[in-house]
Amino acid sequence: MTKIFRYECRRLLWNKFFAGFLPVFLFYGWQVLSHMTIRGVAHTAPFSPWSYGDYLGRMLPLLWIGSLFFLTFFTSGRARRAAALTDAAPISPGRYALARCAAALAGTALLALACAGGAAAFYGYYFGWRQWGGLLLPSLATLVPPLVFALGSGWFLGRLRAWLVYPWMLLPLLCRVLPIPEALGLWNGTFFTEYPLTLNGLDPVFSLPAAVIAAQVLLCLAGAALLAVSVAEGSQ
Amino acid sequence: MKILRMFFLELKRLLQSRLTWLTVLLTVLSPAAGLTFFCPATASTMHSVYLANPAMAGGAAAGILFGLLSIYELDRVSRSRMDMLMNAAVSPMSMALARLMALLAAAAAALALTMLVWLPVTWQLVGAVFSGTDYVLAYLLFMGLALPLAVLAAASACQFTHRADLSLVLFAAFAGLSLTVWAGNWQLCWLNPCVWALSDDFTNFRIFRSVAYMRLTWLAALAGLWAASWLCIRQYGKGLLGSLARSARRIYRPAVALALLAAASAAYVAQPFVDHSNPDLTVMDFYEIPYAEGVVCTGRSAQVFPDTDAGTVAGRAVYQFQNASGREQTAAFGVTPGYTVSSVRINEEEAPFQVSSYQEFNEAMLEITLPAEAQAEVAVEYGGFPQESRSTSTMQGHAEISAGYLCLENASLAPRLMNVLPDEGMYPAVIEITLPVSMTVIPFCSSEAELAAVHEDGTATWRYRYNSTGGILYAGDYIREDIEAGGITIELYYGRKHQEVMEAAGAVEAVKAVADYCTEHYGALSFGTGETLKLIQSRTAGGGYAVDGASLLDEADFTAANLNDSGKGAAAGEVMIHELVHQWWGLGNMFDTGDGSELWSAEGLTVYTTYRIVKELYGEEYARKNYVEQWRRAVDDYYLDFYVRHPEYLEMLPEERQLEITNNLMYVRQYCEMPLKILKAERLVGGEEAMDRILNGLFNRELDPMYPYLTYQEFLDACGLDGEDLNLDENISI
Repeated sequence: MTKIFRYECRRLLWNKFFAGFLPVFLFYGWQVLSHMTIRGVAHTAPFSPWSYGDYLGRMLPLLWIGSLFFLTFFTSGRARRAAALTDAAPISPGRYALARCAAALAGTALLALACAGGAAAFYGYYFGWRQWGGLLLPSLATLVPPLVFALGSGWFLGRLRAWLVYPWMLLPLLCRVLPIPEALGLWNGTFFTEYPLTLNGLDPVFSLPAAVIAAQVLLCLAGAALLAVSVAEGSQ
Repeated sequence: MKILRMFFLELKRLLQSRLTWLTVLLTVLSPAAGLTFFCPATASTMHSVYLANPAMAGGAAAGILFGLLSIYELDRVSRSRMDMLMNAAVSPMSMALARLMALLAAAAAALALTMLVWLPVTWQLVGAVFSGTDYVLAYLLFMGLALPLAVLAAASACQFTHRADLSLVLFAAFAGLSLTVWAGNWQLCWLNPCVWALSDDFTNFRIFRSVAYMRLTWLAALAGLWAASWLCIRQYGKGLLGSLARSARRIYRPAVALALLAAASAAYVAQPFVDHSNPDLTVMDFYEIPYAEGVVCTGRSAQVFPDTDAGTVAGRAVYQFQNASGREQTAAFGVTPGYTVSSVRINEEEAPFQVSSYQEFNEAMLEITLPAEAQAEVAVEYGGFPQESRSTSTMQGHAEISAGYLCLENASLAPRLMNVLPDEGMYPAVIEITLPVSMTVIPFCSSEAELAAVHEDGTATWRYRYNSTGGILYAGDYIREDIEAGGITIELYYGRKHQEVMEAAGAVEAVKAVADYCTEHYGALSFGTGETLKLIQSRTAGGGYAVDGASLLDEADFTAANLNDSGKGAAAGEVMIHELVHQWWGLGNMFDTGDGSELWSAEGLTVYTTYRIVKELYGEEYARKNYVEQWRRAVDDYYLDFYVRHPEYLEMLPEERQLEITNNLMYVRQYCEMPLKILKAERLVGGEEAMDRILNGLFNRELDPMYPYLTYQEFLDACGLDGEDLNLDENISI
């Protein structure tokens, strides 16, 4: 199982796509940090959890696209043609699907870490600020639910029709331009710019209203459920 | 011929694809986004709202669609694993060229279709001020050129990476940067040009030129990139480097790619539209140049020849100096960046000169050494394409020079004398300007221009005299209406195309109401040259200015869209109100900004008075919402801003970033904080009537000729308050 996991990780991460994607992703992140995040949002510091969350929100579309591209390694027509061989291997299809799922999660987590690492380097370079522990909660709240949902929904759609993954990549871009409910404000970035202004006092401590927590939890559960369905179907 | 045949075959195949037709259909529909949620042009003119925004939205959306289509099409052969067969039959490089041409042709067809479909819609929406030239240029430049750029970018990504997934990511990041991070940089936003306004009444060639330049720079860069990627097309089973080594054997291929990239880099660096003025707007080195000792200017004249086709200016300015110092002296002049000084002659002899590379507030400094002789006549020949200030690089269009409109301000009219005092006659100036005979020339001062000569080539020379080191001139297809108000005659000049809107909006009544209000509340204006005031409509500029005897009226003050805005009443005209009020506060009464209070300037009382007039014209609710609440919000934002509260962090940033932040914050104190303080003073002195009596007293006070300025302390004394009383530590309510 571990061997397959390692193999799948290597397949996902040791290839031209990842080698090309990572520098593009980091360059984009640096541009966002040095032109937009540097001003800070909602009267807070550029390194406040709110400004950092806004940065993550701006990076989310690329992270979403990257994680869905990871899935295309498993759902593409080429991967399906190879399935005849992998299915014949002496391993439980369920465990094999689980290992792939874990590899996709690991790849996505690595991208999220690169995103956070870019911000940490930026804050250290410009402001000498290194209290990174305070950024953990906004990272988890902003990135984990949508990325789990991206993997779950993407895998589910990819199993239905391989090409469906591609239009699905546009979802976070649409969320940024179309009006969406306030509870989903983490998706279009409005939460980080507007919610702190409703809290009392300057530089408010990072917190999430119940509606946003509920929306994120539901999203995470939906993603996990879709992932479970996909893994279960893959094991049959 | 073979390539051409392949192109037609490829185009035919492309047009048989349902995805192509879906892309074309979405392209045709995409300008609708500009009428709903994608509205980068913020001005309220009809062409901004109903032409610029749809065209730019169409460009962004169609660019992305065609980029995606390109990746899909270029990956098609490899996806269906036919590349080996295909490459055996046709050279992959020839095929790539044919595919690119086919995609570009499909994009051109989609653009043509979009323009046809949206022509009647735009015509209907824009109404009487619709301009066919603007329509064609807006769609071709704002939308059309985005398509080849997107196709080239996507195709380059495909050819370099040889992977559809990575190409998609590269293209998404490239488009995403343009739409977000680079959106405020006029040279980088390749997909969504920085266009904030299109004029309804006058021409828009300057902003069209700027967008065309940006797009052509990117076209050269992406064509170069595509040519480089073309050399990397995999062939003979080789990888990227192997294929590159093989394709580059014909030396002209990499040479073309490099030449295109070099041309793009040169075009980027040497752009002619925006100057390199010091971004620190608090530095005024040019105003601190010591006056030339013992030298006075006794007169000057200029002959100006704008080329309305090329948007350039050529001119010859002559200055007469008297040098009583008995030694050489240096005279300094402000020259508009973009102009070249071709010769300087002193007393008919060629003389050396130098133009500084340092620029400040849209001027470079020309230095000329005056001889020790008592009399010197200096003739300067200059000309070129005037550049706009870098601080307003996202709001270009101001320096419009065409046969329909022209605005030359100070150094762009003739070199502005900086460090020589006048003799008793001040700076008598005679300006002659030669323009198409259809243009009306309006000096932005109390002088009137007279027709000096009509030439056979369809141009005419106008002449006027006035007294100043600088000077502003407007010209265009104007009509004039005289208004008697406040005991003076106001000459209202506005574009002929705007006549219908001005009449429907009751512009004359609005101007009259403002002049009467100020006269009644503060006192009558008086001008040394007669009892007339010019009010000139400018091409939409987002603001205005005023000088002795003339104020500006922004085109966007009165638009057809405002007519339907019931909240504002029939006419908004708030720039006009503001600039007209400056005749009382700023010109009728001058302000010393160097009296120790960085907030105190003519803007505080002018903005306050504008608020009072708007309150009277459009009601208390409108005035509170659009003035007091906005001031309060801006001031709150200013004091809560992280960098204002923690300047130590601001100092950690690179200078360029520091200036970006401080420049954004600077205007708030004069334009929002001071009006709020005056509003608080109004409450403390007993209300509006009491404040009007105080301001009337200040306006009509006896001036000290040695120090005629109205100071903050005088204002506080008149109110019986001290500075502490006006601290904004509690809510202002009206």
